[in-house]
Amino acid sequence: MKKSHPLRRIVLAGAATVSGIVLLLTMKPSSDPASASAEGAPQGQQSVAPQGGAQAAGNGQAQTLTGDVVKTQYGNVQVRVTMSGGKITSAAAVQAPSGGRSTEVSSNAVPKLNQAAIAASTADIDAVSGATYTSGGYKESLQSALDNAGATGGGSGNASGTGGGGGSADASGSRSGAAQAQTLTGKAVTTDYGPVQVRITVSGGKITKSEAVQQPSGGRSSQISGDAVPKLNQAAVAAGSADIDAVSGATYTSGGYKESLQSALDQAGG
Amino acid sequence: MSTIAGGRAARRQTMRRIRPRRSPAVPLLIAVWAGAAGVLWLWWNNTPSIADDKGRVLNAGRITGLLAGYLMALVVLQMARVPALERRVGSDRVARWHAMSGRYMLCLTLAHIGLTMYGMSMQAGIGIVDQTIDAVKTLPDMGKAAIGTGLLLFIGLISIGGLRRRIPYDTWYHIHLLTYAAVYLSFWHQLSTGNDFAVEPAATTAWYALYGTVTALVLWYRVITPIRLNLRHRMRVEEVVEEAPGIVSVLISGKRLHRIGAEPGQFFRWRFLAPGMRLSSHPYSLSAAPRPGLLRITVKALGDHSTALRGLKRGTRVWAEGPYGALTASRRSRGKVLLMAGGVGITPMRALFETLPAARGDLTLLYRANSTQDLALWDELSAIADERGARLMYAVNSPDGERPDINPETLRRKMPDIDDHDVFLCGPPGFAQDAYTALRGAGVPARRIHHESFEL
Repeated sequence: MKKSHPLRRIVLAGAATVSGIVLLLTMKPSSDPASASAEGAPQGQQSVAPQGGAQAAGNGQAQTLTGDVVKTQYGNVQVRVTMSGGKITSAAAVQAPSGGRSTEVSSNAVPKLNQAAIAASTADIDAVSGATYTSGGYKESLQSALDNAGATGGGSGNASGTGGGGGSADASGSRSGAAQAQTLTGKAVTTDYGPVQVRITVSGGKITKSEAVQQPSGGRSSQISGDAVPKLNQAAVAAGSADIDAVSGATYTSGGYKESLQSALDQAGG
Repeated sequence: MSTIAGGRAARRQTMRRIRPRRSPAVPLLIAVWAGAAGVLWLWWNNTPSIADDKGRVLNAGRITGLLAGYLMALVVLQMARVPALERRVGSDRVARWHAMSGRYMLCLTLAHIGLTMYGMSMQAGIGIVDQTIDAVKTLPDMGKAAIGTGLLLFIGLISIGGLRRRIPYDTWYHIHLLTYAAVYLSFWHQLSTGNDFAVEPAATTAWYALYGTVTALVLWYRVITPIRLNLRHRMRVEEVVEEAPGIVSVLISGKRLHRIGAEPGQFFRWRFLAPGMRLSSHPYSLSAAPRPGLLRITVKALGDHSTALRGLKRGTRVWAEGPYGALTASRRSRGKVLLMAGGVGITPMRALFETLPAARGDLTLLYRANSTQDLALWDELSAIADERGARLMYAVNSPDGERPDINPETLRRKMPDIDDHDVFLCGPPGFAQDAYTALRGAGVPARRIHHESFEL
């Protein structure tokens, strides 16, 4: 029965809500899409043997196999293993879910899964608790990599179409005869709306094909990506460089695309 | 000497029966705030960084959306007629919470829509109107959400004070029920477009659990419980008695009504299955403790519904929901009790006057009415007062129409130990407000003034 002051209550509730939200927003670190990529790219710290591919061509015994990209609820998972004498000698996740809590979960689970894969030498490994989806994706990608080993026999490299790993230049084309064509995968770039990763095929110093291995998805992002990515792919092929225009309405995705594309081109040069 | 000793023994006996129950309001409010903190934590945890102002606007939209979604479940929960809320916190207080949080929820929803569409329109480089149309057309479940929002806005609009008073209560009430549809329609876009639910399956589970629990409680307490109650007791109108000018008592018979679980001071929501009255359900207090085959309500003709009660025929089926209300003996903490009734507010006071455990001389009823003619149930009250040794006082307007002044001085003059009483208060809003102020002035602490008021 205390006297109520509706106006005072409205003003107080409004002010408290607005200031609370503003406070929360200002407490979040602000970062632009470019600088966010460093923390978001998972493959750097998780690759156990990134140079496996290069060795494979040389000694004939060791074989680097990259599994399929498996989509999980939290992002893509892709596994690359090095096999020697029918055993897995090293395993690494080329891609793992990242962003927010996913980064944390991945950085905990992926090393364990790598070890388990080496110990088991099969895809029959236990899921890491708390990372069920990532584990499931890992196992599936690992199995596809092992299937490649069976299909291609000892000595030959990647089965076609499985895609390259982040950071390393997978010269899959050279093994199948055309010495010039080269498939390069750029690093995954984290944007506000999700990771972007570009894979290109370079032939004779030109980009003959460009595609996004990862792109923002979910809700409106799927729509924007579905619209922007084909345009960016065309632009990349037309320009032959990472100097392409951003697609309007998809500024972040375009920025991430260009950065990933540039990193792929850097590998070609190096 | 022996009478004093007897009085002391009786008083001790009474005190033993007083077990004040703490209202669960404080723990409930703490739980509500903890839930809100959890919702904010969900956002915090899923947002590593915000790039620029567009990101800030979009994230503000996300925060307001999450909070609105959370609050929406609570707003529905408040009206689920959960006994802990209705009987322990008090139906009136819960109804005020409902109105307050409903308004706040609507504001959060509008902020969520505005911020999200503005953020997306900046991102897409188109106008906010085009963006909104585009979002409603293309995003999953957004069509449903748009209809739901429209309903919510409409319901909010007709609940604004001025407009609400112009709409008949029953019409307003039935439109208000559309809220369930609105909540259902806007639920799905939260899961299908909400970032936080896409990346955090635990959040989705928690959201389903929240809304699932609320749905279950609504179904249980608003649908199944009343059906069971009415199948068990099968109530019918027994008799309609005129108590005072414009005040009638309705006697209701039924099976095993003493087992209906109603305490004196509580009310039911009554629906009389007579022509023209089927669609409306109104809260009326029991004006006597339930007897094995009989309940009694006493009603003043204030509106269409209460006037129509006069014409009820014997044997008319009655559909009741309840008991609700927290103005019961469990609220008191002291041996001495003052009951203050204004007009038809006498009904719960009459039931309490008869049943509140109290030693002789410790119970007082102060009855305020316009004239002695309007003192409904006076004969009964006198009989109870004689039997229980309780004091009965009335205050009516003087013959020239002047209102009696209820102020701290007169209260203290009549009852020098008034500050040692628990006070139960029931009456029209103006009376209740004046009485409350006077009681506080006379030194009664607020925690010992128990009142129920249905003005929102």
